[in-house]
Amino acid sequence: MKQLLSISGLLFSSFLLQEFLPVFDWSYGARPLLVHAFFLSAAVAIPFPAMLLLAAVCGFLWDARYYIPIYSHDSLMGAIGQAELPFGFTIFLFALAGLLIQGVRPYFRKGRWELPVFMIGLCTGLILLLEYLLICFHRGTLELSPQLWSKLLMTSLFSALLAPVLLLLLAWLAGRLRFRTAGDDFKRRHPQDGDAL
Amino acid sequence: MSRLNLIFLLLFVGLVTWITLFQPNIVSSIQRGAMIAARPFIKASGELDKTANQSASDSRENSAQLGEQLREVVLERDRLRLEAMQLDDLLRENNQLRHALQYIQKSPLSLVATRVLSRKPSQWYNTIVIDKGSDAGIAVDCPVIVPLGDEAALVGKISEVLGPKSAILLLLSDEMCQVSAKIQNSQEQGILCGRRGALFSQMNLRLRYLSKEANVAVDAKVESSGTGELFPPDLLLGKISVISHGVIDSEAIVTPAINFDELSDLFVILPTPDEADPPDQQAQPKPAPPNQ
Repeated sequence: MKQLLSISGLLFSSFLLQEFLPVFDWSYGARPLLVHAFFLSAAVAIPFPAMLLLAAVCGFLWDARYYIPIYSHDSLMGAIGQAELPFGFTIFLFALAGLLIQGVRPYFRKGRWELPVFMIGLCTGLILLLEYLLICFHRGTLELSPQLWSKLLMTSLFSALLAPVLLLLLAWLAGRLRFRTAGDDFKRRHPQDGDAL
Repeated sequence: MSRLNLIFLLLFVGLVTWITLFQPNIVSSIQRGAMIAARPFIKASGELDKTANQSASDSRENSAQLGEQLREVVLERDRLRLEAMQLDDLLRENNQLRHALQYIQKSPLSLVATRVLSRKPSQWYNTIVIDKGSDAGIAVDCPVIVPLGDEAALVGKISEVLGPKSAILLLLSDEMCQVSAKIQNSQEQGILCGRRGALFSQMNLRLRYLSKEANVAVDAKVESSGTGELFPPDLLLGKISVISHGVIDSEAIVTPAINFDELSDLFVILPTPDEADPPDQQAQPKPAPPNQ
């Protein structure tokens, strides 16, 4: 319960702080994606079902705030066609990234943060790249410019820079509130879940 | 994978599928709620951004009040100037049509002044959030303009109305904001659009589908042609900077008339009463494509 409350608190705080984070024109519109970095940092520290729940909440709130329904020119403004990036697509992307990042949980549980931090950056870039590819798919042409890669790289770097701070914060909260970020309690109750935990 | 995890995964897939199938009106309601909740923070962020961009600030209270009054007066002057310009255009058009068709009744355009609330909320679209919404009569696809000397320049169009006091403006610099354009003192017409991905805030635009033999001077003005019915004619879009001739057609690079980073006060052209009618009361839907 303490874990849930503290993660929920941090999640809403990250959404509020995200409003104040600037866009950097020098990096072709890249910005620090605090919510993405927070989700991925938490995803490495919580069990699989909790990660899915967090992906659903994070993705839903992100789309509620930042979703813009742009319809491709062939569609009939939402009457039949789907928006380029459908509402709820971020939930899917978060879950996909969460699944990937759960793969490095054993390293995290051993106290090794290098790979999780790298993966947090990588997964942030992957989320954005998939969004962009879906937009390109809708428009029928693929444009991969150097500026696009710069934007993805810088966004990933921002996330990777934020990740240690967020992981430290989660570890500090876990210590203060006496819950376990690696899901050991959950494992004791469900010993068959060794693969996910 | 354990049975428990599999059950959670299946539940999750079901949830995501259900959410992606939400109707646009439900999505709109969700976004309105989110916008109402986030509005104070968006406003605070906008103010912070504005403060950070100002190199020097005046701390005197009287000066601030006078500045605000001056701002309002300038805003009102600009609005009236734009209305006067559009009335002139309407008068000219009216005279032309009287000669040609005896009489065509056309409602005058009405404008709503608005301010930028938040810049670049989206990763992949060039958009800004403005502080007027459905309360002011703003609807999807309403053109947004800004005064530029004696002319009016097109900024973009409303992409979504987020609530009673906010809407999303899709800028002209985005690939999905396509405008039918003409080149001044020329017969050439084409489609003007921005670039994909919101990689640049101030980028050159592309004027496509010009004729193969297009003879266009550099620095020639590009204006909206009004052909697609969505945007009024004669709105300034930019200037030709480069033209390249292809095998089938020609394409020009257009420098935008306005700096999208410096936008603060904008004017939304409200739909005329005929356009604002519900679809079931209209005789026929518009045959024009949605983004031209």
